[in-house]
Amino acid sequence: MANSLIIGQYVPTDSLVHRLDPRTKIIIIFLFVIFIFFANNALSYGWLALFAVASAVATKIKLKFIARGLTPVWFLIIFTFILHLFVTREGPVLFEIIGFPIYSGAIIQGFAISLRFFLLILVTSLMTLTTTPIEITDAIESLLHPLKKIKFPVHELALMMSISLRFIPTLMQETEKISKAQASRGVDFKTGPIKDRIHAVVPLLVPLFVSAFKRAEELAMAMEARGYQGGEGRTKLRELTIAKLDWLAFLSFSCVLIGLFLLRQ
Amino acid sequence: MKKISTIELCYGAIFICLMAIGANITYWFPFLSIPIGGVSVPLSLQTFFSILAGLMLGKQLGAFSIFAYTLVGLIGVPVFAQMQSGLFVLFNYTGGFLLSFILVAYVTGFLMERLTTITLPSSTSIAIIGVLTNYLVGVTYMYVGMNTWLNLEITYLAAWLGMIPFLIKDLGLAFIAALLIIKMYSRLSFKTSHINSQNTLQKSVKR
Repeated sequence: MANSLIIGQYVPTDSLVHRLDPRTKIIIIFLFVIFIFFANNALSYGWLALFAVASAVATKIKLKFIARGLTPVWFLIIFTFILHLFVTREGPVLFEIIGFPIYSGAIIQGFAISLRFFLLILVTSLMTLTTTPIEITDAIESLLHPLKKIKFPVHELALMMSISLRFIPTLMQETEKISKAQASRGVDFKTGPIKDRIHAVVPLLVPLFVSAFKRAEELAMAMEARGYQGGEGRTKLRELTIAKLDWLAFLSFSCVLIGLFLLRQ
Repeated sequence: MKKISTIELCYGAIFICLMAIGANITYWFPFLSIPIGGVSVPLSLQTFFSILAGLMLGKQLGAFSIFAYTLVGLIGVPVFAQMQSGLFVLFNYTGGFLLSFILVAYVTGFLMERLTTITLPSSTSIAIIGVLTNYLVGVTYMYVGMNTWLNLEITYLAAWLGMIPFLIKDLGLAFIAALLIIKMYSRLSFKTSHINSQNTLQKSVKR
């Protein structure tokens, strides 16, 4: 599991979507999330669905991986649809299920909401499927750069995120060690009243805190020893560049948006 | 916002890791689920750690590191509860709880900075205020979310009733957080660390 954490949901392929600048992807997805709420009829929904599916195909990622990212939300999508079937009362009654009348409006609305939900999740998960967390962190630092004017510590935010990406697996191993150590001492968490069980987390947390803080202090010392002194004048190993491909992506996405406004009522 | 020093940056990053572990603590300790009224409530230490972030790091750095945690999860690293990640977590009806952790850290940090001495009653009440902030924002978001973009109509009361077992668990954990902060203040490495120079941690601890 530690492995899956380092790369997140990232699936490497050689597609064009992977080669896009992470900032381009963030901006396009952000706009998509906003504009999906403008779709209000079958044609406009279909148009956006076409865009989402086309981008999914363009990533060259196997359907298996995309579907895996969607598993936690399938339930929610289906649940929303079914609830709409029974709750919404618009249009003529189509048929009855065990005495419950199903209205035509309910099917349409339930389908529309579920589809919107599905598209939102599909497109946002394409982002994390085609971009490594560290790339996104760099992109966030670059996109939030204007916030430096209001003294928001953008560089520190990005660095904090990168450091945590490095240390989450380490601390997870540490947690595993602690759990084994306490189990070998015969600590019992399975019985007793609620109060005792909640209290039982203390012997797990104290060693975790101690080791976590020790790491933080060691890291800070190591950084300062190497001359780290904040974001001012710091250069980057990975430079982000907006290439022709990115302009092409923006252009085609604007076509999608224009199409959306032509198709909606 | 004032400048963040290197040690503060590292503490913030470590709190992101702690939040990630706390959210999925049942992965390592599967037995840590608590039966409350017949419902088995899986233990998640997110509220717990966001309260501690506020108590230990102060309002600014605490809220900032929890904000960074939320971002790490949103960009696809599975650090949220049940190893979830990605933007859609915010569209889910429990998204408000995630967002509220930032506020929880800020509120607890804010109150902690107002204290002159730490005693068990004061730290417990701060932690409880933290939990209440968490649920107030989380449940309201759930109510609004269900009634708007999920189009499921529920009453505000029903939303609260569903969360009661979790609330009991988190109040219990808030007490542990209050206990821990007192123990840590007198024992842990803050005294030797640079963070000592920060106003939140300068206060003398009288027990």
